Amino acid sequence: MTARAWRGVLWVSLLALVLGSAVGAAGAPRVPNTVLVMGGVISDAVSLDPAQAFEFTSVWAAAQIYDTLVDFNREFNQVVPELATSWTVSADGRTYTFRLRRGVRFHSGNVVDAKAVEFSLQRAMKLNLTPAFILTSFIARPEDVVAVGADTVRVTFKQAMPEILMGSVLANPVSAVVDPALVQRNATPADPWANQWLSFNDAGSGPYKLRAWSKNVKIEFEAFEGYWRGTPRLRRVFYQEMPEPAAAMLALQRGDIDVASDLLPAQYKQLQGQPGIEVKTSPQFTVNYLAMNVGYEPFGKKEVRNAIKWAIDYDALRRIFEDALDPSQTIVPPGMFAHLAERPYRRDVARARALLREAGYERGFRAELIVPVTPPLPDVAAKIKEDLAAVGIEVEVRQLRSADLLGIYRAQRHQLVIQRWGADYPDPDNLARAFASFDARQLAWRNQWDHPVKRTVEQAVGELNRARREALYHEIQRIVLEEGPYAIYGSPLEQNAMRSNVKGLGASPLFAFTNLIDAWKE
Amino acid sequence: MWAYLTRRLLLSTLAVFGVLVITFFLSHVIPGDPIAAILGPQAPDHVIEDLRRRWGLDRPIPEQFVRYLSLLARGDLGRSIATNRPVLDDLREFFPATVELATAAILVGVTLGMAVGIVSAVARGRWVDHVVRFVSLIGLSMPVFWLGLIALLVFYFWAGVLPGPGQLDILISRPPRVTGLILVDSVLARDGVALRNALAHMVLPALVLGSHTLVGIARITRASMLEVLGQEYIKAARAKGLAERTVILRHALKNALLPIVTVIGIYYGSLLEGAVLTETVFAWPGLGRYATSAILSQDFAAVMGVTLLIALIFSLANLVVDLLYAALNPRIRYE
Repeated sequence: MTARAWRGVLWVSLLALVLGSAVGAAGAPRVPNTVLVMGGVISDAVSLDPAQAFEFTSVWAAAQIYDTLVDFNREFNQVVPELATSWTVSADGRTYTFRLRRGVRFHSGNVVDAKAVEFSLQRAMKLNLTPAFILTSFIARPEDVVAVGADTVRVTFKQAMPEILMGSVLANPVSAVVDPALVQRNATPADPWANQWLSFNDAGSGPYKLRAWSKNVKIEFEAFEGYWRGTPRLRRVFYQEMPEPAAAMLALQRGDIDVASDLLPAQYKQLQGQPGIEVKTSPQFTVNYLAMNVGYEPFGKKEVRNAIKWAIDYDALRRIFEDALDPSQTIVPPGMFAHLAERPYRRDVARARALLREAGYERGFRAELIVPVTPPLPDVAAKIKEDLAAVGIEVEVRQLRSADLLGIYRAQRHQLVIQRWGADYPDPDNLARAFASFDARQLAWRNQWDHPVKRTVEQAVGELNRARREALYHEIQRIVLEEGPYAIYGSPLEQNAMRSNVKGLGASPLFAFTNLIDAWKE
Repeated sequence: MWAYLTRRLLLSTLAVFGVLVITFFLSHVIPGDPIAAILGPQAPDHVIEDLRRRWGLDRPIPEQFVRYLSLLARGDLGRSIATNRPVLDDLREFFPATVELATAAILVGVTLGMAVGIVSAVARGRWVDHVVRFVSLIGLSMPVFWLGLIALLVFYFWAGVLPGPGQLDILISRPPRVTGLILVDSVLARDGVALRNALAHMVLPALVLGSHTLVGIARITRASMLEVLGQEYIKAARAKGLAERTVILRHALKNALLPIVTVIGIYYGSLLEGAVLTETVFAWPGLGRYATSAILSQDFAAVMGVTLLIALIFSLANLVVDLLYAALNPRIRYE
């Protein structure tokens, strides 16, 4: 290459940089008031088919595109109408008959009727993909969902269903109503339920139409003008992938995005009080816990388990989360029906040592603690290691990828593990079953804790009297608190930072039910 | 030449196959459960077992490998558990973004790096040389992730002269996908707005990603030039009265190019693997983040697809570099 050519390349490169800067300066748009731009991590989404959606982003997206028979109020303590305007329940509490709203249409223009509801619920059950267990745990056969008229649907459950439990099943996006005509048109012999098509397309009647989904880039919604509640005020909504929290924070401060989720606790703290920015905090139906495998000899003794519960410095753990952690210690999180607001444990080294002595472990013992690599959980593990060392328990911490950790946890091969449980549905049964019922093969099983309280779990789930039901769940929580293999160190608080002109948008305890239709911009 | 090429292609094929075998067996024998990772801690056991069966993960590993090879022979790279799509579709979607970024980064690295290296060599021992060496030392030791955040802070947040993360502003529609390369597709669609915006979005990540390449190329250029500048024929050229510029650029640089071309090939190959940190900071939908998330969740088909692609890139990059040797130095012959 000649000297002239080299010089040319150099000048072109420099020119490109300067021009790039210039066009960049001109290209920065303001977000109009009818448009909402959210930034966060959306790469978890696998499928937007409500029968398959199980990840945070896809469930959230499905909740915008689709309607369900019923919904919950904001406090999640009452079932409210959605596609169904009213319902009746049989005396035994097993059969619900729903009367549908008239004149509701899918985005395609087709009418939402009882046949569409029957088709959708049966489709989700027959497809039997990941979230289907929410339906199949309570409805025995697809045929138990029947259209008994043009606007009447009957659902027969396996057991008596308190209303809040019925809502937990039928307000869940897995029960969303899809457009049967569209599904059938896109079905293939290999995919008779059009799961592949529905994974990337829209067949809903919800407030928003899916405009585009570029994997790992953005999800784009457009307001549905024929929505039965009226056209949403935010005409277009974008959810943009912003995996780096610091970059998302800068974009929020610049005004290029309206909402930043998935920031770090310290960043939310930093944003609090900044002009033009608002940080919203709301409780989550999630439980953070340290679990002890009862199959590992020392943890077989209740005194040892309780010694650990007394050894932990819960306030210090909360500081690791920058206080974005409700200090709850029971398995039913605050805000959910039947939460027991008891918090007996605090750091008491003398008491922990006494309990260890009582159990015959006055000289302590060694244990391995596995923890996901996800921040700030390794810090939590380090603090717990320090706390347990003070009472003579020597802990070795192993940080693992989720794929490794969950394999070990599910195979009951752990000794101590740090994990969290986010409710699948807003009924205490979900947590009581997981934490207290050995037969459910969930957390009690993984930690080999087979306790008679499992019978109370079965009794509580079908109890139709609200007060008696609440008392049963209080009893379950108290037993788990006093004897269970879990040191629960709080319920995380969901935080979102947004521009202060965004109104009506708040995280809900179950993110899936956050509805964009209530939001607008000033 | 042709015999050499054929032999090299055969060897490359064998090497790629070897990489596939090792990757497949290693990724399957290390502990972990991809289905559990993707479904999270709450999915019931029966759901996980059912999905494991559907994905064929309950079969013996050799059987899975044979199945994988038979699919591969038909041009099917399998299906990603995490994205629920054919891996080939994923690669088609994510690789072009990486190609564009890597190409822009290597252009930055090569042009500026060589210029800096030449100036530094020519001015050996003078203040320019000291400054260049000092700055390149700092450049090499600066984490790219940190550099990216600082670049965003300065040029996007404070100065407001460059756009933030992403390939396009959110309200600008992506031109219809033809090649997957956003710049090329913008040109094909004659969409000037998208082209300008995409170019602006590329400046910061390309500079950040290219900075390490720039420093590396500058250092190797300087060293190589210094070696050549000490040769007798350079003295002869100068003695003949040739202009200094001609001596340096035509005589010295041409002969100093061999090691430089080698590192350019290696750098470009590495950049095409995807730069996960740069892609994360700039929300760039490239191969790096896809590969990392595939590895973390043990998404076997995706891991294999990415491995195959990277192995092919490196084989090709090495081959191109070797062929360039002959073009640059006529004394090199392929037998």
